[in-house]
Amino acid sequence: MPMRADLSAALRAALPVMLGYVTIGIPCGVMAAEVGLGPAAAFLLSSTFYSGAGQFMMASLALAGTPIASMIASVALVSTRQLLYSAALSPYLASAPRPLATLFAATVTDESFGVNLDRFAADEAWGPERATAVNLMSMLSWAFANALGAAVGPALAIPTTVMSFAMTSIFVCLLVSRSWTFVTAVVVSVSVASVLLLKALGAGSVSVLVGALAGIAAGLACGSFEREGRGSRR
Amino acid sequence: MSDTDFLVFYLCVLATILACRCVPLLALKGRELSPRVSEALSLIPPAAFAALVANDLFDPTVGLSWQPIAAAALVVVVARRTSSLIWCALVGMGAYALLALVP
Repeated sequence: MPMRADLSAALRAALPVMLGYVTIGIPCGVMAAEVGLGPAAAFLLSSTFYSGAGQFMMASLALAGTPIASMIASVALVSTRQLLYSAALSPYLASAPRPLATLFAATVTDESFGVNLDRFAADEAWGPERATAVNLMSMLSWAFANALGAAVGPALAIPTTVMSFAMTSIFVCLLVSRSWTFVTAVVVSVSVASVLLLKALGAGSVSVLVGALAGIAAGLACGSFEREGRGSRR
Repeated sequence: MSDTDFLVFYLCVLATILACRCVPLLALKGRELSPRVSEALSLIPPAAFAALVANDLFDPTVGLSWQPIAAAALVVVVARRTSSLIWCALVGMGAYALLALVP
C-alpha cells in the first residue's frame, strides 16, 4: 500500500528528530508549567507555534516580567530564519496541491528542513506526502513531550544544556554530511564568523538570520568570481 | 501574564510564524526561477546550519568554551563515518555531559 509505505519511510526519516524533540520538549514543557501553562495549553502552544527556540524564549521572558510587546518582537525575530527554509523548499513542492503545500510549509522546523532537503535531493521516491508526514510526526512528538513536561512540572530536574546539545549535534551532522565545495566552505566560514561577531555585539536572536544571509551573499560572490575566472582563462 | 495578554501574544506570534513559514514557499511554488535565485536557494542549507551551530556553540556571556566545541568535533567524526542523525545526537549529548564534568 503506497500510504503505508509513505508512512513507514517517513517514520524512519523522522525518528532521530522525534527522539531529539522528546529530550528537548520535556524541559520546555517544564518551563511552560513554570509560567502557568497546563498540559493541554502546552500541547496547543507547541503544536501551533512548533518552535523550540521561540517557546524557551517565551517562558524565560515571561518569567523575567518582560513587557508583552518586547516578548512578541523577540519571539517573532527568532522565527524569521523560517523565511529562508520556506524559500529553499519551494522547488520541491512545485507540483503539490496548495493545501498540502500549506500544511507542509506550516510545519517546517530547523531539523525537519534538513532531513527533508536531504531526502528530496537523494531519493526520487521522496515527495510532499512523505515530507509532510515527517513534519507532522516530529510535531506530535514535540507537542506530546511538552505536554508531558508541563504535567510533571518543576518536579523534574533536567539539565537543559545537555538535552539541547542533541539538536546542536543534529545540525552538525546535517552540515558535515553534505557534499562540500570551495563555495560551501566560504558560505560556512562567513556564516559562522558573522554569527560570532553579531552575538558578540549583542545582536541576539537576529544573529542566525543575518549570519546566514551574509554567508549566502559571500557564496554568491564567490561563485561569480569562480565563473569569471573560468571565463577569462578560455 | 493575564489571559488577555497571553491571547494577544499567542495570536501575534502565531500569525508571524505562519507568515514566515508559508509565504515564501507559496509565493515561489511552481514558478520558473532564474539561475541566480536557484543558486542562492542552494546555498541556504549550509549557511543556515553553520549559523545555527555557531549560535549554539557561542554564548556571548562566557565566550567560546572548549567543552561544547570538543563535543561538536566528536560529532563531526561520527557524522563523517556514519551520517546517522541518531548516533550524532546520542554521541553529542553523551560527550557534552561527560565533558561538562571536567572543570
